[in-house]
Amino acid sequence: MSTDTEQSPPNATSRWEHLRPWVSLVARIALAGVLGYAGYLKAIEPQESVRSVAAYELFSDGMNQFIGYTLPLFEIALALLLIIGLATRYVAALSALLMAVFIAGIISAWARGLTIDCGCFSSGGQVAAGETAYGVDIVRDIGFMLLAGIVMVWPRSPFALDGFLGLYPDSGGEKSDE
Amino acid sequence: MSKASRKENRERLKQERLKEQRRAKRNKLLTVMAVALGVVALIVGGGYFIITSQANSTGNLVAERLSGWDKQLPPQTLQEDGSTVLAVEDASAPLVEVYADYQCSHCADFEEANGELLNMLAAQGKAVLQLRPVSIFAAGGPPAGTNSLRAGAAARAAADYGKFVEYNQLLFANQPNGTAEGYSADELIAWGEELGITDAAFAERVRSEAGVVDAFAEYQQSGDQGDDSFLAGSYVEQILAATNAVKDRYEGPNAFGGTPSVYINGELYTGGIDNPIDLADTIEAASPGEPDTRPQSTDDNSPSPSPTANETTEQ
Repeated sequence: MSTDTEQSPPNATSRWEHLRPWVSLVARIALAGVLGYAGYLKAIEPQESVRSVAAYELFSDGMNQFIGYTLPLFEIALALLLIIGLATRYVAALSALLMAVFIAGIISAWARGLTIDCGCFSSGGQVAAGETAYGVDIVRDIGFMLLAGIVMVWPRSPFALDGFLGLYPDSGGEKSDE
Repeated sequence: MSKASRKENRERLKQERLKEQRRAKRNKLLTVMAVALGVVALIVGGGYFIITSQANSTGNLVAERLSGWDKQLPPQTLQEDGSTVLAVEDASAPLVEVYADYQCSHCADFEEANGELLNMLAAQGKAVLQLRPVSIFAAGGPPAGTNSLRAGAAARAAADYGKFVEYNQLLFANQPNGTAEGYSADELIAWGEELGITDAAFAERVRSEAGVVDAFAEYQQSGDQGDDSFLAGSYVEQILAATNAVKDRYEGPNAFGGTPSVYINGELYTGGIDNPIDLADTIEAASPGEPDTRPQSTDDNSPSPSPTANETTEQ
């Protein structure tokens, strides 16, 4: 924080501490929405999902099918855990990791000169040479990663099972114990 | 007891209490993580089970429908635009147009999932199947574009020998990766031989078309400038024309948006490519239709090496 806050510590700090859980809540729900939507679109078309994975030309047929089937389900599971707010910090960390894997996949497709749709939402596969959008896809995934980062750093937010179970007594609460 | 030792005692109790608190906190965290892992395992495992059993049941249903068919193809008739119509004689059945590109991986998947079932419907007189190869990849240039064009031209050459449907199947089964040169002239000729097309004119045709494809790639590189007369009379020209034609043929909700596309009596089928049963049922429920193309007459001066072989399978 800047010197500004040092001059008026109680106000600015408490205002941020007041706001923080709500920022975290918004990030949590937004991330859940993104993962849930992406997962749902792919899970209802499993064969399309397998083709999207195959388009990256990274794995064997059997592996493509396994990933194509399970990845959307994994996304849905993470989304559900984020919505109910269970093990929030760790689920957010996994989501960030997943985004990193997606970004790596897109970069590898880009570097190898593949002309595919990332298959991030709905079905991917080959597209015409001029229709790739790798840059946009990567920037978007970085945005999602930032959401996950917010939830990871400040996992405590309202309407979360974690809070109900007292899993993340915030820093302020811990101090008052002593 | 001294004051000091009492203080020490109190300190120890406090430490123990803190340790106990920390242990409880850790246990709570471990429990929460175990539950979260359980939720993930349940959704992923359960979902995987549902998806695989659904895929199996679709496969079984298709196999069941195919089981009564003797795999005998009905006559295939080459059309003026280079497409092929597969139907029993005087068929009164819905027209099913299939637009596909030999480099399009979804088209290979479509062929694998639906090809046999469509052939069966045609053989049973329940469909007039029109296979209409196009090359949407051509515009992108090599290697995918040139692969697509070489294969399309070779398939057209195979149609001159009445082997289009079989050749079409072989091409999709051997589809190359779109990032490297594939569908080489040698391969294309070998696949023809596999189907009994041993005429040297077929090999010659495939090689000359491959030359046209190379010239077309150079022409594209120069920004479509200059003389394109090298295309005249080639099967490459025909497939490029077919590709342009389909874009004009359909509009509005039926507009051609890519390959594979299936039209039933001119209406775009939107049921996806993974549900052959639904496709077959939709076709069987449709009314009879007719191709908008005319059969290529067997006595015109087409560039075909052996035009009379067009309808050999009709015998």
